[in-house]
Amino acid sequence: MYLKRIFVLGASMVALALVTTSCGSTGGPSSSASPKGTVTIASFNFSESIILAHIYGGALKNKGYTVVYRDKLGNREIVEPALENGQIDLYAGYAATDLTFVEKRQSVTLDAGTDAQANVQKLNSLLSSKGIKALDPSPAVDQNAFAVTKAEADQNHLVKLSDVSSVASGWTLGGPPECPQRPFCQPGLESVYGLHFKAFKALDAGGPLTYAAFKSAAINIGLVFSSDGAIAANDLIVLQDDKHLQQADNIVPLIRTTVANSEVTALLNSIDAKLNTPDLTALNKSADVDKQDPADVAATWVKDHGF
Amino acid sequence: MNFANQVLQWFLNGAHWQGDGGIPHRTFEHLAMSGASVLTAAVIALPVGIAIGHIGRGGILAINISNIGRAIPSFAVLVIAVELFGIGALPAFIALVALAIPPMVTNSYIGMREVDADVREAARGMGMRERAVLLRVELPIALPFIMAGIRTSAVNVVATATLAALVAWGGLGRFIVDGFGLQDYPMMFAGAIMVAILSLIVEFSLAGAQRLATPAGLRPSKTVQKEEPLGTTRDTAMVAA
Amino acid sequence: MLATGVVGAVEDPWIRWSWISGHADIIAAALVQHIQLTLIAVVVGLVIAVPLGLVAWRSRVFRGPIFSLTGILYTIPSLALFSALVPFTGFTILTSEIGLVSYTLLILIRNIVVGLNSVPDDVREAAQGMGYRPLAELVRIDLPLATPAILAGVRIATVTTIGLVTVTALIGEGGLGSLIYDGLLRDFKTPLVVGTVLSVALAVVADLSLAGAERVITPWSRARATT
Repeated sequence: MYLKRIFVLGASMVALALVTTSCGSTGGPSSSASPKGTVTIASFNFSESIILAHIYGGALKNKGYTVVYRDKLGNREIVEPALENGQIDLYAGYAATDLTFVEKRQSVTLDAGTDAQANVQKLNSLLSSKGIKALDPSPAVDQNAFAVTKAEADQNHLVKLSDVSSVASGWTLGGPPECPQRPFCQPGLESVYGLHFKAFKALDAGGPLTYAAFKSAAINIGLVFSSDGAIAANDLIVLQDDKHLQQADNIVPLIRTTVANSEVTALLNSIDAKLNTPDLTALNKSADVDKQDPADVAATWVKDHGF
Repeated sequence: MNFANQVLQWFLNGAHWQGDGGIPHRTFEHLAMSGASVLTAAVIALPVGIAIGHIGRGGILAINISNIGRAIPSFAVLVIAVELFGIGALPAFIALVALAIPPMVTNSYIGMREVDADVREAARGMGMRERAVLLRVELPIALPFIMAGIRTSAVNVVATATLAALVAWGGLGRFIVDGFGLQDYPMMFAGAIMVAILSLIVEFSLAGAQRLATPAGLRPSKTVQKEEPLGTTRDTAMVAA
Repeated sequence: MLATGVVGAVEDPWIRWSWISGHADIIAAALVQHIQLTLIAVVVGLVIAVPLGLVAWRSRVFRGPIFSLTGILYTIPSLALFSALVPFTGFTILTSEIGLVSYTLLILIRNIVVGLNSVPDDVREAAQGMGYRPLAELVRIDLPLATPAILAGVRIATVTTIGLVTVTALIGEGGLGSLIYDGLLRDFKTPLVVGTVLSVALAVVADLSLAGAERVITPWSRARATT
């Protein structure tokens, strides 16, 4: 009697599992992939990356490709190796930072520079053996920037990063957990500007935690991204990089050669040519400040620019 | 170097034991925050649970507050606290206190209800005043249950304090979160080991304290705790975070 | 707090209904994923727990180690357990499920043992006297009588798992946790609220349904004082 009831309960749980499995999508490629093939696009953990991924993806989809997104996959330490071992096909990289990252991974001397084209060439020389190609860099740039609150800047007369040397020893630097290891972040501030901060606070990559830390005065200076739409909105100013710690971090797609046919390459390159920094900043603002969906923001851009 | 070796090397690295980001400081942060939260929650929750149990009213609420508390993901509580109060130690503290309260209310209520009505009657019949009944009859019997509640909350809090590293707080969770961000798996794994060990130490010491707090006549082997399954009225189940 | 009251920033209300209606599909997908992850964990947990529970019930030698091991797994904070698995099983559903299943084991095994222990000795003696062989006795007498306790365990395990699934957002899964995480990453309150409310609602619905199932399967347990 009760066995029957237990059986019924068990069967209904299994049935529920099956039903939800067939209803839900688990993000895998659809069984009816287009003949043009599938492209898996990843993005980092911040809106700009998701927007770029969906701009590339939206345009590719319009050309008939099946696109799979791995949004917010992680930071570069996760994403770049995923590209190398083929788990993903494409992501929007940043010329100088990706070059430095790959050089470090391959134990090559670090020499990213201020010429985006040169950076891309060097990237390609290192990545071609891994089956990866860096396409044409975009005029749009997003590089590390260091910001302080307006009040702090006014009080200490801070306009450029060199100005910070007088107060650095008592200051707390805020940034993503990887900042103490990235040449463009804390180590760079030390070697190029001679800034040795009292403490480092691990937050996020120019995201809400960083802004909150400024608000609660938990940090004096923090890493933000130059194209971030929320900098002004949060009463921060970016200090000038007068000694050129940051190199040319132009947007550049990194793509596996197996999917980089001539159509895809031409499409991505023409998207890159049309991207520019003011646009990028505006897109970021829509997502981060106005809380619009990065995917929607991207879709609008794709439509407006005829992709 | 295989992975186990890498983790060992991480622990042997002297730099990891120094400074604000070092193991001792992080452990202290973690314990201090956990202890403060549990203590604060106890100050709030125990009187409420004991009072309700003594009076005998409001039982439904007392029992279900744990069920509700168990249903709210601790991760969500943390993020909501941060949205309300910004980052730092304060929102972490508030979230942890909020999480620690329900099990203590429920378990102290149940403990107080464990007191046999006859025993209470007898005590009153002997001429004991209410306060004496409470302190000398009810509380000793309720104490093991109260301790069980504290133990549940403490383990919960230590676990959730690990998550607080995600919202820019410190503690041992920092090694896990930073290890994650840097893809430094030895650091991440070392952090996980330390958190696990700390949780186990807390669990076992409080289990010992619970046993000590149990009056000799009510020690386990015959008590209700062993016999009743989790989930019935006498549930003293722990909650994972 | 993170972005409110700031010049130029748009006020971020706790619930933006327009976002909810515009993202109903994402919300539904998150809910479905949450249910899937939970069901898999509880079902697999039961499949593992029943044999282990039987062993623990019958064998004094194994009881201690089984409870100790599952107790240790239960005490380890979820973020720690998931992070410890990642170097070995990667950012996959398997990692999430290994962690989630581990958390169900203590509760399920403990309740199976207690439930089986609660079968009155005279009932078992009567069954043996009637000629029931051990396996038959187990299946037709002991387990059915242990069912209320086992179901109570399934209830707690399910509610606990529903809460823990949210943490898997940090290792690529998440269910409703991905809404909560999104709220954190973007300082965006609406997905945070939606994720939390639905998570709690799911837990309540699951708990009540299982309580109802308990009553249907074991009508005699209504006589007991169960929650």
